[in-house]
Amino acid sequence: MPVNTNSTGSARTLSVPRWIMPMLAGAILLIYPFLVSDYYIDIAFYFGIYALLGLSLNIVLGEVGLFDLGHAGFYAIGAYVTAILNTRYGIPIFVLLPVSGLAAALFAYIVCSPIIHLKGDYLCIVTIGVGEIVRIALINNPFDLTGGPNGVFGIDFPRIGELLVIDSSLEYYFLIWAVVGLSIIGLISLQNSRIGRAWNCIREDGIAASASGIDVRYYKLLAFVLGAGLAGIAGNIYASKLMCVSPESFSFWESCLMFCIVLIGGMGSIPGVLIGAAFISLFPEIFRPFAMYRMLVFGSVMILMMMFRPGGFWPRKRGGVSYRSLMEDSGD
Amino acid sequence: MKSLKYLVVVGALVFLFAPSLSAADAQPVVIGLQGPITGAWAYEGQMAKQSCEIAAELINKKGGILGGRKIELRVVDDAGEPKTGALAAQKLVGQKDVVASVSTYGSSVCEPASNIYEKFKKVNIGYGVTAVRLTERDFKYFFRTCGRDDSQGKFFATAVPKKFKAKRIAIMHDNTAFGKGLAEDTKRALEAMVKSKAVSIVYYDAITPGEKDYKVSLTNLRESKPDVWYFTGYYAEAALLVSQARDIGITCPFVGGNAAINDEFVKIAGLKLAKGCYMTNEPLPGDLPYKQAKEFLAAYKAKYGDIPSSPWPIYAADALNIIAYAVDKTKSTNSDVLAAYLRDKVNRVPGITGPIGFTAQGDREGVPFYLYVVDGKGKIVIAK
Amino acid sequence: MHLLLEQLINGLTIGSFYALIALGYSMVYGVLKLINFAHGDFFTLGSYLGYTVLVFGTALLTAHFGLWGGMMAATVVAAISVSIVGIVVERLAYRPVYPAGRLPAVVSALGASIFLQNAIMVIWGPRYQAYPSQLIPNMHFQFGDIFITLLQIIILVFSFLLMSVLYYVIQRTTFGAAIRAAAHDRHTAALMGIDFNKVILFIFTLGPALGAVTGVMVGMYYRQISFTMGWNYGLKAFTATILGGIGNIPGAMFGGLILGVLEMLGASYISAAWKDVFVFLILILVLIFRPTGLFGEKVAEKV
Repeated sequence: MPVNTNSTGSARTLSVPRWIMPMLAGAILLIYPFLVSDYYIDIAFYFGIYALLGLSLNIVLGEVGLFDLGHAGFYAIGAYVTAILNTRYGIPIFVLLPVSGLAAALFAYIVCSPIIHLKGDYLCIVTIGVGEIVRIALINNPFDLTGGPNGVFGIDFPRIGELLVIDSSLEYYFLIWAVVGLSIIGLISLQNSRIGRAWNCIREDGIAASASGIDVRYYKLLAFVLGAGLAGIAGNIYASKLMCVSPESFSFWESCLMFCIVLIGGMGSIPGVLIGAAFISLFPEIFRPFAMYRMLVFGSVMILMMMFRPGGFWPRKRGGVSYRSLMEDSGD
Repeated sequence: MKSLKYLVVVGALVFLFAPSLSAADAQPVVIGLQGPITGAWAYEGQMAKQSCEIAAELINKKGGILGGRKIELRVVDDAGEPKTGALAAQKLVGQKDVVASVSTYGSSVCEPASNIYEKFKKVNIGYGVTAVRLTERDFKYFFRTCGRDDSQGKFFATAVPKKFKAKRIAIMHDNTAFGKGLAEDTKRALEAMVKSKAVSIVYYDAITPGEKDYKVSLTNLRESKPDVWYFTGYYAEAALLVSQARDIGITCPFVGGNAAINDEFVKIAGLKLAKGCYMTNEPLPGDLPYKQAKEFLAAYKAKYGDIPSSPWPIYAADALNIIAYAVDKTKSTNSDVLAAYLRDKVNRVPGITGPIGFTAQGDREGVPFYLYVVDGKGKIVIAK
Repeated sequence: MHLLLEQLINGLTIGSFYALIALGYSMVYGVLKLINFAHGDFFTLGSYLGYTVLVFGTALLTAHFGLWGGMMAATVVAAISVSIVGIVVERLAYRPVYPAGRLPAVVSALGASIFLQNAIMVIWGPRYQAYPSQLIPNMHFQFGDIFITLLQIIILVFSFLLMSVLYYVIQRTTFGAAIRAAAHDRHTAALMGIDFNKVILFIFTLGPALGAVTGVMVGMYYRQISFTMGWNYGLKAFTATILGGIGNIPGAMFGGLILGVLEMLGASYISAAWKDVFVFLILILVLIFRPTGLFGEKVAEKV
């Protein structure tokens, strides 16, 4: 079994019940938007988008330890499926929410099947390649679908008839955080299930996992498919919020940001991912007045963070990443 | 370590709860500027900021508007990205004292930002956003002081083949929203002439901006034997293209779109190669014959040592001027009043870039185009 | 036919840039198993330093040493300064993170990359900078229908020279053997008396220096540099590294050259706009059938 880098001793001395933090966070999330202006609600909205993206990548990178630096590609598929089907055929955004998730998942299944046997960094470069292929294809406007570098515009609000129309910052805020909340509940139960244990087992030692009868290929693919599906859903909400999509939102840089979210927060740790997402989405906004120097600080903070908390800000306790798997090649 | 973790959580919350900027005292009239102050187009954004500051200073020096109220500029950075652009717009509409906004440089950034301005009913005037579709959405509060891509495409079709007696035309774009848009509009404008066999388009392809080596594309272009070659991208690539084209023996005239040639282009390509390169362009700052232009440029030069090297910042200044003008004339800061006034009443109001007026869609009326050429001293002058 | 030949030379020129940058990636990866994302920025930094030397040292250098002296000085100054930066980055950003494993080091490398790129922007400004064209030889030759520039020939010769020297050092000298041993198994190598710190010092001197030299060559060849260009070249060079088999020095060289030629073929026979898609598809196909790259050895799985 994995040995935890984090001693559990310190947690015991602080007698905060486990449920306090989630409850507190939930309460703050509920009250927060009623206290601030739309601008701050929007910042929290993008925080939510990054949280969802971080959670989706966390399945692949955090749970199974597969290096995926092309996650923005799946995000893009979700966003563009939403954009194209909505603007061309008028299919409602809410219907497209699962559709874009499924489309991204299907895409992941098709492209990942032949490459899933690759190891660590070879898999990493292939995912970069997939992400870049998606982005370049979007720019080149295949079959006149993606609108080229202009992107697709005129995307509708999510609505159910006239009954419920989501068109204000406040409503979008609740939409994204509801989706994030549901995903967290789902992911926690996955973590504690057979699947989650199989994933972690593959991450710690792939050979031992397959020796003990785990279908490694199947579980790795499953992680990609689920992760991509969740990213596709994030794409759907992002597209309807911005009302337009364009390729520059899905660059390699965006994939790198997601990668950092998971590692800064702590691999496999859900609260960690939330903190990582907060860091990535809030930091540039807080430091925007510093203009040119802000990214200098951002880069240095990333380095410092890894020096002082290499396991991430909030490492997973139970079933966490072991010291050994961090040292050696993971995911194979 | 544990306490550190909570400290950061609390820190993040404190930020989230930070009170939004409170409205300043009602004295000055606040006009927003959304532009790429950082990011890939930082250079353009910073010049736009300087231009708007000068324009506001000039108005204030003359006693302000509405009988003595000063203009205050509030700058928000959109980094040239759609998402940040949407956030920037949200930030500006959230500030109740901002009357209207000058927004922004890039078309794909303007798209989501103008949606937000529209929803929150705030007049926004684009200064570098030339994509045609922006004004086809029938927005009530969106205007632009710059021209549209298709007016430039039409200008190319009427002026360029005639000037060079060209039959074989090569069009190259850079796959950006702007470059591809202009290339498509040019192609469309040439369609009639292609049908009547007056000209033919022998090359139509894209290059990837940010790369350095375009020899492969250029070799293909050379093999298509064009009489004239139109590149609709930005100066950074244009300079590379021209120097590499001459290396592999392309000799036909080079015509750039309105983002392709500026002082930087001449510097990068070197005077020898830059000389004789053409561009289709709105009148450059220095060529503007208007009184307002002379005054503005003198003030700009006094403060920054030189006039802006690209045409766009001046449109930003004009956007600010026309907002101030409308507020002054209507004695109102109500968005509906301002939008209606700009659309219906503003007609041939003298501006830095010439008389300003808007069509029913919000487009600028009558933006002239010229064919420019780089002369022997590296200056960009109107071609004879 | 002449067209193909001409494009081939263009492809090889770009390819030699990729190859030289790829060497830096490959050496670091081989020994530390770290994807050094900051490597692309070493390349950019070299390019900017070379620019500064050329522009501000113009009067002095070119007057005393001529055109070639100026170019050489720019190259040497850039290489030395960037290798110092390389060592500093290794000390400050990577060394403290090694004990924690390879993933934190990747984040640290990304952080270093962001830092360097923005430091370059703050120092030299966000605008494109132009290498002074009068300080660079711009002759070109025409053989029949083929156009080649003098600079292209210089670049190709110089790159092959550098690569051969490196190949010799790594494959034929004792110190090279030490590096290969450290790359193969760090712990056993340490037991054999190989000073791991010396190996790290060596790769973080040589890798960034090679990147900087490439940066100066790219600056002279295209005359225009921007603070973000390292990202693009870095990604391509990393692709080349993987294509050749990561950690494999000759593999990185050939990977770079092959990538350059592939790019050229894609651009001229398919479409310039789709050429990167073509390159990545080939890469994926190669990896599907040869999961450790073209020249990578089949590694037995450790149990």
